[in-house]
Amino acid sequence: MTSAVSDSTFSSTGRQRRYLPVVHSWRGATALISPLLLCVLWYWATAARWIPEQILPAPAVVWETFIDLIDTGELQMHLQISLFRLFTGFALGAVAGLIFGALLAISETVRVYFGLLFETLRHIPTLVLIPMLILLLGIGETLKIVIIVKAVFFPVAQAATEGVKNIPRAFLEVGQVYRLPHVTLYRRIILPAIIPPVLTGVRIALGRAWLILVAVELLAADSGIGQMMEFARQMLRLDIVFIGVILTGLVGFGLDKSLRLLECYLVRWRGRHHE
Amino acid sequence: MSFIFKFVSRIQWVLFFLAGSVSIQLQASSPAEVKELRIAVVANASSGELTFGGVPQVIARDPVFKAALAEQNIKLQWVPVSTAAVATLVNESFAGGKIDFAFYGDLPSVILNASGIETRLVVSGSVGNNSYLVVPKHSTAASIRDLKGKRIALHRGRPWEATFAKLIESEGLQLKDFRIINLNPQAGAAAVSAGNVEGFFTLSDAHALVEKEVAKIIWSTKDAPVSWRMRAELWGAREFVEQHPEVTQLLATATVRAMHWVSQEENKDAYIAEQSRMGLPEKLIRRDILDERISWRDYWSPVLVPSTTAHYQDVIDHALANRLIRKPVKVDDLLAPQFVSRALQTLELENYWRESQAQAGAEQPSVAQTGQEYAHNGLQQGAEQ
Amino acid sequence: MNNLLRNVLKKSKALRGLLVPVLLLIYWQYASGQSATHRYAFVPLQDVGASFVELVGSGELWINLLGSIERTGVGLVTGVAVGFALGLAMYFSRIVLTLVHPLYTALRQVPLLGLTPLIGIWLGNGDEAKVFIIALAAFYPMVLNTYEGLRNVDSRFREVGEIYGFNHWQQFRRVLLPAAVPSLITGLLLAIPFAWITCIGSELLFNAGAGLGNLMMTAELAARMDIILICALVVTTIGILMNYGVSRAGDYLLRWRGRRK
Repeated sequence: MTSAVSDSTFSSTGRQRRYLPVVHSWRGATALISPLLLCVLWYWATAARWIPEQILPAPAVVWETFIDLIDTGELQMHLQISLFRLFTGFALGAVAGLIFGALLAISETVRVYFGLLFETLRHIPTLVLIPMLILLLGIGETLKIVIIVKAVFFPVAQAATEGVKNIPRAFLEVGQVYRLPHVTLYRRIILPAIIPPVLTGVRIALGRAWLILVAVELLAADSGIGQMMEFARQMLRLDIVFIGVILTGLVGFGLDKSLRLLECYLVRWRGRHHE
Repeated sequence: MSFIFKFVSRIQWVLFFLAGSVSIQLQASSPAEVKELRIAVVANASSGELTFGGVPQVIARDPVFKAALAEQNIKLQWVPVSTAAVATLVNESFAGGKIDFAFYGDLPSVILNASGIETRLVVSGSVGNNSYLVVPKHSTAASIRDLKGKRIALHRGRPWEATFAKLIESEGLQLKDFRIINLNPQAGAAAVSAGNVEGFFTLSDAHALVEKEVAKIIWSTKDAPVSWRMRAELWGAREFVEQHPEVTQLLATATVRAMHWVSQEENKDAYIAEQSRMGLPEKLIRRDILDERISWRDYWSPVLVPSTTAHYQDVIDHALANRLIRKPVKVDDLLAPQFVSRALQTLELENYWRESQAQAGAEQPSVAQTGQEYAHNGLQQGAEQ
Repeated sequence: MNNLLRNVLKKSKALRGLLVPVLLLIYWQYASGQSATHRYAFVPLQDVGASFVELVGSGELWINLLGSIERTGVGLVTGVAVGFALGLAMYFSRIVLTLVHPLYTALRQVPLLGLTPLIGIWLGNGDEAKVFIIALAAFYPMVLNTYEGLRNVDSRFREVGEIYGFNHWQQFRRVLLPAAVPSLITGLLLAIPFAWITCIGSELLFNAGAGLGNLMMTAELAARMDIILICALVVTTIGILMNYGVSRAGDYLLRWRGRRK
């Protein structure tokens, strides 16, 4: 699928010839230049009163608020709740997606009875489901977890289907020729073959899940990072909003980065096994 | 490829300059002469046609006002705001300098002023809107006391939060005694209908839920002193009001003229019919707005009465006590009553609304009735309509 | 009876595919009859149909649909153009790459709708804010795919260009750009549905005006689940049509490549 393909372009697929100069050589140092510049500009703009503080709070103010939120434990509480929701929903959605996706590729029956439904539901944007799901499930934890499951299930299932479908026929034939037992076939051939596309699917799914979770928390929640931001917005506390934006960015970045590392590791692992 | 490299690095500076000039423009945007008048209003778009909530709908078609603006080459620009988040949207627009005036509520105005962006109350709007405490249809809760420790949907920072605070304080309770869930009215209605919250505090949309038979009202400001009602009025950016008092006066006079038109008994039906385009059927608007304690005329009084000042003090106290604002706000700093006085003179309406009448409701004993009593009243009301 | 059903099902794959959805719809209809609360959530299908006819008849659906599409279009064109330009700049200038890449990576991780409070204050809550956030949605995949598309051009192609003695412009126009087209199309393919859904999201979060998101908001206020449902269906359908259209257009544009997979 398109999304899986394009998003994986940033990962090392071995096809790249020119390496990113910045990212690979003096990565650590140069990558910090523009963020630092931005911070200086931010400090400068607020210190020189170019922009009123209600529109752009000063870095010092944001920092103070940050410390304050940590001291009161508020920030940790919201973050913990958001991450709990994310990982619970993610675990459920990913496992279900993986199983269903593989079945969809392997079993004719599943494809015939659920293929159409899957294709239809896959296209419904999670965002427009929010008002409806609020009616069906309420605004409790179930809502958030179901929405994350929805956001994760479909990309993972799709990636799994694609992964199984794209296993070269030769691989399977080799398995048959050597009369490999089922377990070995799955472990040595199918699993390694579908891990890279599935992991890419998982990474995309996790990013989307985080995005949608923040959106749900903005719209309907009693806690969580999104709710912290929304409440701050209602109270015109831009300093807290800033902290929320930075924090959600960091969490998103951290999730993405760790899955990329896992991807790299597993691809290498697979490479070794193939040789 | 070096030429492209050079080109791009030159472009970079152009971009920096552009960014710089934009930020400078942001600062320099206070022209001596008014070119446009930007007013935020609660609005609903249906069939591509905008309907404004309340008095602005009448002002918008006022030929006298339009002519006066045209004479001074001022462009009138209505900035529509959706009901889901009026407070936030208007405050953000004031903060970003996108609007000069807004018809909106008390608590958000206090929050805005506490954050350092100053606005002035130019025309006080009507007696105030009713708020309702709604519970799921099969709930056994009969009063706010029964909801202690339960989940209540309440959109934080909206004007009716102050009303809610009064209700719970009258019972010796605090916000902490409930699990307040910050939901906009749309989501709140859904939540209470599905029984996901035990209570929902909101405005006239409560009647739509009752009509759909998914919820019931167990308390409303109709059972409380009139001063408990949330207020929505005409607010203007301080800078604009101070720099352009004549333009402000034009708008203030137009607002009072519109309120005068609405307050006449013969225009009541037309006004309600028009407001039904906001989404709530006529029948339910009547159920919400009509109150035997206040005559239709007095309901629309723009006169600033002492109870309004007291009301704002209460709102400020609530906001401070619950850490919604960090710095206190002085009520007197917020008020600019001169505009209404002049408007009343200009329109020769000095004796049309009398202070005593507008205040009449406020002097009722401040005892919150119990749910049973309300239910009884509710039945009576239902029978009357 | 059972056999008959089985035979019919066996005959047509399409019919079998419809079985589960139809069962779900039947359950929906059943649930709607249970109680007032149920009726609120599971709107009876005939009500949805009636509302659909009403919305189409009054032109309301059309006006709001057009409003959303127009907004998406403006945001999309802006985002794609700026994204393409920045992608080019990142490819050709190391300074731009060094400066922009870390910021891009960082900012891209911030959930788009989480930016609404900041955008609300900085750009107001009108159409500019909505268009900006839509443009941003289209911008992200476009930057990445422009840059990656150019960077991953096979060095053999480049060498061919050098053999022909192309100047920089010719190299770009005749070698790099055509080779990057598949990646650009992928970017577009991602940008379009993302822009569309972001448009609906921004309409939910920002101000009044014509748009399907606003229609949903108004419907929510009046507790009209049927309208919400119709809006959701229309949004989904348009999304599918857009996906389909772009992928067909992509196939057409790339027909010279032959089928690769």
